[in-house]
Amino acid sequence: MTTRMMGEPIRRVEDRRLLTGNGRYLDDLGADAVEVALVRSPHAHAKILDIDVTAALEVDGLLAIYTYDDLTGPLADPLPLLIPHPALTHGRTQYPLARDEVNYVGEAVAMVVAENRYLAEDAAERILVSYQVLPPVVGLDAARAAERLVHPDVPGNVAAHFVQESGDAAAAIAAAPHRLALDLEIQRSASTPLEGRGVLARWDTDAQRLRMWTSTQTSTGVRAAVAVKLGLDLGSVEVITPDVGGGFGVKIMHPWPEEVLVPMAARALGRPVKFTEDRREHFISSAHERGQQQHIEVGFDDQGRLLGLSLQFWHDNGAYIPYGLIVPIVTSTQVLGPYKPGAFRVEFESLYTNTVIVTPYRGAGRPQAVFAMERTMDAIACDLGLDRAEVRERNFIQPEEMPYDHGLVFQDGRPLIYDSGDFPASLAKLKKLVGWDEWAGYQARARAEGRKVGMGLACYVEGTGVGPYEGGHVQVETTGKVKVATGLTSQGQGHQTAFAQIVADELGVPMSDIEVVTGDTRRFPYAVGTFASRAAVMSGSAIALAARAARAKILKVAAEALEAEPGDLEIVEGQVRVKGSPGTEISLGTVAVLSNPLRYAFDEASKAATQFAVGHPDQAPVGEDDEPGIEGRDYYSPLQSTFANGMHAVIVETDPETAEIKILRYCVVHDCGTLINPMIVRGQVHGGVAQGVGGALYERMAYDESGQLQNASFMDFLMPYVSEMPAEIEIDHLETPSPLNPLGIKGAGEAGVIPSAAVFAAAISDAEGFELTSMPISPSELFELRSAHAAGRQEGDES
Amino acid sequence: MKLAGEAILHAPLDRVWTALRDPAVLVATIPGCERLVATGPDSYDMTVTAGVASIKGSYAGTVSLTDLPEPHTFLMKASGAGGPGTVDADVRVSLTDTGEGTRLTYDADAAIGGVIGGVGQRMLIGVAKKMAGEFFSGVDDVLTGNRPLAAAGEQADSSAAPAGQDTAVAAGQHPGPAVFTAAGRGKPPARPATESFLAGAVFGAATALLGVLVGARTARASHNTRTARRMG
Amino acid sequence: MNEDRSEARHEIALTVNGVERRAEVPARRLLSDCLRHDLGLTGTHVGCEHGVCGACTVLVGGVPMRSCLLLAVSMDGEQITTVEGLTGPDGKLSPVQQGFAECHGLQCGFCTPGFLTTITAGLADNPDPTPEQARELIGGNLCRCTGYQNIVAAVLRAAEIGRERATAPAGDSGSRTSSEHGSDRSLRS
Repeated sequence: MTTRMMGEPIRRVEDRRLLTGNGRYLDDLGADAVEVALVRSPHAHAKILDIDVTAALEVDGLLAIYTYDDLTGPLADPLPLLIPHPALTHGRTQYPLARDEVNYVGEAVAMVVAENRYLAEDAAERILVSYQVLPPVVGLDAARAAERLVHPDVPGNVAAHFVQESGDAAAAIAAAPHRLALDLEIQRSASTPLEGRGVLARWDTDAQRLRMWTSTQTSTGVRAAVAVKLGLDLGSVEVITPDVGGGFGVKIMHPWPEEVLVPMAARALGRPVKFTEDRREHFISSAHERGQQQHIEVGFDDQGRLLGLSLQFWHDNGAYIPYGLIVPIVTSTQVLGPYKPGAFRVEFESLYTNTVIVTPYRGAGRPQAVFAMERTMDAIACDLGLDRAEVRERNFIQPEEMPYDHGLVFQDGRPLIYDSGDFPASLAKLKKLVGWDEWAGYQARARAEGRKVGMGLACYVEGTGVGPYEGGHVQVETTGKVKVATGLTSQGQGHQTAFAQIVADELGVPMSDIEVVTGDTRRFPYAVGTFASRAAVMSGSAIALAARAARAKILKVAAEALEAEPGDLEIVEGQVRVKGSPGTEISLGTVAVLSNPLRYAFDEASKAATQFAVGHPDQAPVGEDDEPGIEGRDYYSPLQSTFANGMHAVIVETDPETAEIKILRYCVVHDCGTLINPMIVRGQVHGGVAQGVGGALYERMAYDESGQLQNASFMDFLMPYVSEMPAEIEIDHLETPSPLNPLGIKGAGEAGVIPSAAVFAAAISDAEGFELTSMPISPSELFELRSAHAAGRQEGDES
Repeated sequence: MKLAGEAILHAPLDRVWTALRDPAVLVATIPGCERLVATGPDSYDMTVTAGVASIKGSYAGTVSLTDLPEPHTFLMKASGAGGPGTVDADVRVSLTDTGEGTRLTYDADAAIGGVIGGVGQRMLIGVAKKMAGEFFSGVDDVLTGNRPLAAAGEQADSSAAPAGQDTAVAAGQHPGPAVFTAAGRGKPPARPATESFLAGAVFGAATALLGVLVGARTARASHNTRTARRMG
Repeated sequence: MNEDRSEARHEIALTVNGVERRAEVPARRLLSDCLRHDLGLTGTHVGCEHGVCGACTVLVGGVPMRSCLLLAVSMDGEQITTVEGLTGPDGKLSPVQQGFAECHGLQCGFCTPGFLTTITAGLADNPDPTPEQARELIGGNLCRCTGYQNIVAAVLRAAEIGRERATAPAGDSGSRTSSEHGSDRSLRS
């Protein structure tokens, strides 16, 4: 038998290309393209009075300047509200170029096209826009106070008000023997992939067709949006996703203004046009996430079991809300984690502020949700004087209770039903990995030495693989090579490897004979996109199904040729053979030749399929229920998401003097069902943890009161270098396969980042002896908290 | 695309009117105008070269005038076509005496086709306004003596202005076309940098056509032709 | 087009990956743009445009430098190695490239060229780094995908491969010793 590929740490097929400088990212394409630069608003809130381009005309190489007045038809309308929701009563989206008002620093006001980016920037700098500056709404406090409005027709700055409940939480909490209330806050951060956004468009004047490349997480989404906005048939638009230098959520947002403006310009000018975002633009003009304020009320019994839980939170959605309520809805449902909450109520307001838009960033509302729940668990343990792990264990949904229905609706409009997981087993693994039971002794000894050390623990459940569907196409060429296509895109997850592993097992062909293409609408036009840890679940399953369809066809054709029953055949190393008689075999390439009856021979192999070589005179060459060629196409469309889970523990040491925070150990137990490639999954966890470290300890969006982002560069936005990471991320896996898909897969892409704010807050609180309620935390903030708590204790002692 | 503007010319209305009716003045002052040909009563052919960005190219156009009886105001219908695209414009022009000089106002409504239609309205308007400014300042320079006409005259193409035009143009009978060229104009080194830049953009086309139409109206006066001949 | 408004161009000659190249560039053209857009070597990536992320790192005379902070005109006569120049003439991956492939040291691959050039120079200076030194070596490069764990492993593995190849029997045409990385920056000869 061929060695099984599923579950093996196969080296990535992508790597050679990327390691030798032969990757093709957006800005590596279109050497012949002219380039754009955007004039962006320097004000967070202002009326546009005038746009004077006179001085720009002196720039040699200037080709065109577009403002709102140049947008016609659907382009003149606001960009789409991608995910409408009944609770989103006041949805507002921006125009591709601002019409008469700007609502965040960085909003596009004019687009310049010139021979190259240098000249485009020269011209953009010379365009004078006159503004009447309006007072901005910055931060959740200002948004909630609503003394000023972002949009005059949106009362209270409230885009959406959402309530969901199961049972009577207020009554359950009121009747509980123990009650606690917590107020928490998480600040903004962002995906910040190393490659920013980018778009290249070519308009074929002869064929009246558009071909565009974009650094996106959804080529089919961009295609549909561009077709609508440019008034083109879907069939006249091709969208190709080249190599993408990281996404982490920000590139699922679409269409960006540039994704419709660049093709518009390409069509108007008859020349290829390219936009490559620079780093500052990425900070101020793409999207952020995370910003929330939370109020939790919880009632529990003497054992720390939840009786009632109420979460109220306020979500900062920025100046517009094109991606709808996905992030806060995810927070509102995933807050439940691995626990049975008793009666539950969640209520949120999604609020406008004069800041850049908020769309999902890896984790997508879950880090905030886990922060809320895990801080609550720690508070309960502290209140009752119980072990923190013990309190969690007592609230776990048990494996025998799976599937577990929360009686709520998830972000995809489907019921929130956990399909699998063994939370007690996962926690047991984590406790063992981190040495939970020895911790008290270690901490006591460290304290005796004057060291401040703390351990945090956080658990989460992550809905992955949301619908509606993905598809896969598998074709066997006459060379025996296998071409695989799926519509969703790749941003470094190793899809070309993982999907090839699936096909290798299904078809019995070597990895080297399989080529996987993602995100190219020419190859597979039906798809949703890469987000919500869904690629492996959705496309992995679809490709498996497509490969099985291709396999059935292979066996049928081969059975005829070998005069055997399909059930007696097996495929090994690209050869179809009769089980138990190794001499009788036929290659996949020959099967592909035979599957396509030919009139013309063009090489030795194809002679075998010509009409004088094959077929029966009394049978149609291609049967009624048959098609020429060896192809399989299938779709995977589950009734609901599959729920992965994980538990993290971190040990930190805080400097008694400087309050510097050092990570001593970081441990992960992760359950994403069946692993396709454990090496890739570990890599995903590593990367997620690193983003979590950044989000917990370093990264924030420092807006000043006028709405200027003061740290819009990698110099000032502190993304972790290796020096900020622990020497080792210790990982253990638990595999509880999902019963929902053919391979038992659950998503893994976002996992690593989800519990970070919670686990670091817990660890630092444990080290310091007071509870953190706001993340991220810097050494200087920790220092101030220490001082405040010391002063508070002193006051308490005196009174 | 709508475009409106005005210029103050430092000369009495009658002199402005006269200058604007002088094809030799026009051919020398319209940015990018290389050739101006009377083809009939109130109708002209002209060639304008534009040198900016996507608008770069040579445009051949025609101009005809209506609403002429009204004093000091008229409507020009102009159309032009070149590699980068097409222009069709209606331009209303009027002159008023301000006491110290003459105020010229123009109000254009243009339909732009082809690539130049795709470069953005503000850019088109910006270019057109700059070219209009350039044109009127050129005319003003002629009126105030800062630009000797002789210099422009040296550039006229005498061979293209045969005898008999005097009558033809003046009477509107045009047995042969009256041709005015700006032979040296297209050569960048001969022109100041600002002008060479301005020459051109789209509405070099419109502005130039605007100028042409003004010229066309005036070309019926015999002394214009004489000027042209003298220039030759 | 009006020549008097065009930017003055300067001709430069530089040796890139062992090949002499010429380009005519305006004074303000960055080396990163010159390599990518004038010379077509798009393997060098630009991640932040201000020298913080290290994605654009190339070797200038063997020394890692941020090509987004260098003007192309200042590179006249220099020897430059980009990621394209790390691979052997026979297509064999260099020890550092091989280490990354074996250790899953890259995900999206955008920052990778800057790591590869930086580590190539670092291992030339110190062919046998400790894990701590390996971390220090990559301390100035940002990666958003990997969490650096496997990059550190790749550095150590690359050092190992370098040593293995150095002791490989003569006549192994595909091998290059790590000392060659240090002394011969063209890597094409």
